[in-house]
Amino acid sequence: MKKRGVGIGCTWYGTGYGNGFPDVSSAFLEIHDDGSATVLTGAIDVGQGSSTVYAQIVAEELGLKPEDITVVTGDTDVAPDSGTTAATRQTYNTGNAVLRAVRQAKGKLQAYAARTFSCTTPEGIELKDGYIGVKGDPSRRMPLGEMVSTARLQGERFISAESFTAQTTPVNMENGQGAPYWPYAFGCQAAEVEVDTETGIVRVLKIVAAHDVGKAINPTQVEGQIAGGVAQGLGYALLEQVELKEGKIQNPALSSYLIPTALDVPEIESIIIEETESSGPYGAKGLGEPAMLPVVAAVINAIDDAVGVRITSLPATPEKILAALAEKEPERR
Amino acid sequence: MEIKLEVNRKHYILDVTEDERLLDVLRNRLGLTGTKEGCGEGECGACTVIMDGKTVNSCLVLAGQADGRRITTIEGVGSRRSPHPVQKALVEVGAVQCGFCTPGMVLSAKALLDQNPKPTDDEIAVGMSGNLCRCTGYDKILRAVRKASEEVAE
Amino acid sequence: MTQVIGNGSIREDAWGKVFGESKYPADFNRPDQIYGVVIRSTQAHARIRSINVDKARLPGVITILTAEDMVYNRHGVLFRDQPVLAEERVRMIGDPVAAIGAESLAAAKQAAALVEIDYEPLPAIFDPEEGMKPSALPLHPELFPDTNILYHLPIRRGNMDEGWTQAEVVVEREYSTQMVDHAFLQPEAVLAYIDERGHVVVQVATQYAHYDRGEIAHALGLKNSKVQVKTTTVGGAFGGREDISLQIIAAMMAWKTMRPVKFENTRNESFYSHSKRHPMKMYYKTGAAKDGRLVALEAKIIGDAGAYTSWSPNILRKAAVHATGPYEIPHVKIDSYAVYTNNPYTGAMRGFGAAQPVVAYESQMDLLAKELGISQVEIRMRNLLKVGSTTATGQVLTESVGAEACLKAVLPYLTGKEGRV
Repeated sequence: MKKRGVGIGCTWYGTGYGNGFPDVSSAFLEIHDDGSATVLTGAIDVGQGSSTVYAQIVAEELGLKPEDITVVTGDTDVAPDSGTTAATRQTYNTGNAVLRAVRQAKGKLQAYAARTFSCTTPEGIELKDGYIGVKGDPSRRMPLGEMVSTARLQGERFISAESFTAQTTPVNMENGQGAPYWPYAFGCQAAEVEVDTETGIVRVLKIVAAHDVGKAINPTQVEGQIAGGVAQGLGYALLEQVELKEGKIQNPALSSYLIPTALDVPEIESIIIEETESSGPYGAKGLGEPAMLPVVAAVINAIDDAVGVRITSLPATPEKILAALAEKEPERR
Repeated sequence: MEIKLEVNRKHYILDVTEDERLLDVLRNRLGLTGTKEGCGEGECGACTVIMDGKTVNSCLVLAGQADGRRITTIEGVGSRRSPHPVQKALVEVGAVQCGFCTPGMVLSAKALLDQNPKPTDDEIAVGMSGNLCRCTGYDKILRAVRKASEEVAE
Repeated sequence: MTQVIGNGSIREDAWGKVFGESKYPADFNRPDQIYGVVIRSTQAHARIRSINVDKARLPGVITILTAEDMVYNRHGVLFRDQPVLAEERVRMIGDPVAAIGAESLAAAKQAAALVEIDYEPLPAIFDPEEGMKPSALPLHPELFPDTNILYHLPIRRGNMDEGWTQAEVVVEREYSTQMVDHAFLQPEAVLAYIDERGHVVVQVATQYAHYDRGEIAHALGLKNSKVQVKTTTVGGAFGGREDISLQIIAAMMAWKTMRPVKFENTRNESFYSHSKRHPMKMYYKTGAAKDGRLVALEAKIIGDAGAYTSWSPNILRKAAVHATGPYEIPHVKIDSYAVYTNNPYTGAMRGFGAAQPVVAYESQMDLLAKELGISQVEIRMRNLLKVGSTTATGQVLTESVGAEACLKAVLPYLTGKEGRV
C-alpha cells in the first residue's frame, strides 16, 4: 500500500569560521576611466556564484551594470587572501570586503566630483545609471567614465584595498559559553512523501523550502542554492552512504555510491525570507550550507507521518523502513 | 588501428590504440576538452556526446567502435553569437552552477528536443536522468529544457 | 534605490560553461608534461617496514617520490598531522605512500603496480566509541599521548535537575548518521610546473587558493611569493576541496624534475583522496513542559574523525552549538567528542557538523509533540528562537532571526493534510 505523509524540519546555522578565529576577507578595486571597474579577491567561486554577487555589489555602488565589472579571483599572485569558500561565508564576509573597497574608492570619486560640481558635500554626489552627479540637480551630472577620465588626467586614482572581519568570540572550554558564530541563518522546509509499505521505497512528492538569507542579493542564485541543497539533503536522508568494511570503502564509484538523479528530486518551491542583518552587505547573510539541512528532518518526519515509523539512523533505506514496519506490526494487531 | 571520424563536421583519420576510448580521442587527440570525465563508467553523463543522432557516454565507447561515425561534441553546438536554445535557456534560467555537468546536459537536452520537440515534464526528467548534477538539484535545468522546448516549437 | 541588488543578474561564467569553454584542471596540458600516479595504502593501520621501488624503475619512469623527497612532509588545516607521503606509519586505507611520474599515464600506472610496500599490520580502530575507551591504542601519540579523543566540548547552561523537574514529558532516543562523500562531479586534477621566473605554479580546483599556496610553499621549503596557485574553474566542492589532495605531491614532483606534472584522479581515486562527512552517534534526552515549552536537553554527540584531524574540532564544536536546534532551552548539558579511528578521515562538508544533529533535534520535536498531544507546528512555534533569545552557549541573538517567519511561510502547504499538522 502507498501511504502519504507530510513533515517539517526547522534548522539554524551559524555562518563563518567562528569561535573567535580571525575570519578576514580582503579585496582590491580599481575604477577605470571608461566607467567600468575591476575587483580582485581571493574568494573562489566554486560554482555557487559568488563572483556574480561581487559584480552586483560593485555595480550597485557605482551605478553601473554588473557586466561592466570584472571580478578576478583565485590567483594568488594577484588577488588578496579572502579565506576559504566554505562556512557559508563568501557573500557575507567577502561581500562586505568588496563593499568596503568599492565604497572607499567611490568616496574619493565623490569628493573629486563634489569639487567639480561645486557641491558642498561628497555625500551629495550620487552614482546612478552610468552617471555621476549632484542629487536633486540634474543639470550637474556627467557620465561616470568622463569624470574618472578627467580626474585621472589630474593625477587622481580611484583604487582601494579593504578588509572585513566577522565578529565572534571563542567558547569557554569548561562550559561552552560564548558567541561562537555570527550571523545565524534560519530555514524551514516541508516535505510530502509517499511510502510504499510493500517495498519500503520513499518517493518525495514535494518540497517547500523557506530560508532566511537576510537579503537575497541574487534571488535566482538563492533559488539555485536551495534546490541544490534540497537534492543533497534528500541524498543524505534517503540514499547516500559510504559503506566501510574495516576501513575500506566498499562503494567507491558512482554506480554504487548513489546520488540523486533528475528523477529523484521533486518539485521544489523556494520561499525567500529576508530578515535584515545590519552587519551584512545590504542586509545579506548566507545560504550555501543551510539549504541542505531542513529537508533531512522534513523527510524523516514525513515518513513517520505516512506510516508511523521513526527512522533514527540515516539513510532511511527501504530495508530500514521495512524492518521498522515489521517491528511495529504486532502492536497494530 | 586506423579510424575515420567526423567530429563537429570535420573529418579525421586517426591511428588509435585498442583500449583508447572515444572520450580520450576527443580530449587528448582533438583537444575537445568540453567533454568531461566524471566517473569513467557511464554513470554521470559528463562525457555525453551525440553519435549518429543519439547520445552516448563517450567513456563507454571504444575509439574503434566510433569508426565511420558522426560525432557532435559541445564544441559543435551553438556559439556566443548564436547559442542553441538549450544553451540560452540554461544561462537565462540560472541553471548553471559549477558547470562540469553542463556540456553533457546540453547534449542530452539537444538530442531529446531533436527527437521530441514537445516533451512532457516527465519525458524531460527521464531524458535528463542519465546526467548527474551535484549543484543545482536539477530544478532549474529541467525548467530550462522546458523553456528551450517552447522556443524550439515556435 | 537599489538597481542590481535583489535582481537575478546573469552570471558571466555561465556562457563559457554552456559552450564547454570553461577549463577545469584536467583540461590543461603543457608541452613535455609528465604524468603522475599516487600509490595509496591498502592497510588501515600499519607500520611500513620498507618501500622497494627497484622493479618500478621501468623505461619512461622519470621519478618516484617518497616521504624522503619532501622538505617538510606534513600538511593539515588545523594541525599539520597529515603526511604528504607516508612515513613510518599509515593510518587509513588510501593514505598516499609514494608517487610515480612517467612519460605516459600508462607507464606511470604500470610502474605503480610494481612498487613493493612491506606493511606490518597494527591493531586498528573502526568504531569511535571503541576508540574513546582508555584502553584504546592512541593513533596520534605525538598530538595526544594517551587518548584518541582529539576534541571535547561541554556546553552547560541552567540546572539540569530543575529542568527535568519542570518536564512533563521526556523523550530519549539514539540517532546515528552515516559517512557520505561530496561526490562533486569533477574529480581532482592538478597541473604543476616551474614557470619562466622559476616559480612553482599549481593549477588546481580548490576552495582556498591562498591556503593551498601556504601548504605547498611550506612543504617545499619555499617562500609564499615563489608559489602561485592559479584556480581553474571548480567543478563543485561542498567542503571536499578544503584539505590538500594532490597539490603538494604534484608541486614537489615538478620542483624535483623541473618538468610540468599532471595528476588526474579517476572517480575511484577521488573517493580515497578527499575527506568525508563525519558519521555521528547522537544520544538525546529532551524534556518539555505541559504547555510545550522545551525545558531540558541532555545530548552526547560522538563524531568519527577518521585517521586525521582535518576540521574535526570545528565540526564537533558546530555540532554541539547547534544541538538544541533553533530553539531556546534553559537547561542544557551537551557534550560533543571528535575521535580518531582508522576510517577514512572526515572533514568539511556542506553543513559542517550542523547537518547531523538536525535528524536528532527535529525528530525529538515531533516525538515530544506526539507525547504532549499538540501539533508539530505548535511545539515549534512555542520554542523557536527570536530576537532577544539566548542560545545554549549564552549568546543573545540581537537581530535577523527569521526562524518563525520561515516556519510560517511553509504552513499554507501543510494545512489540510488530514488535519495532522
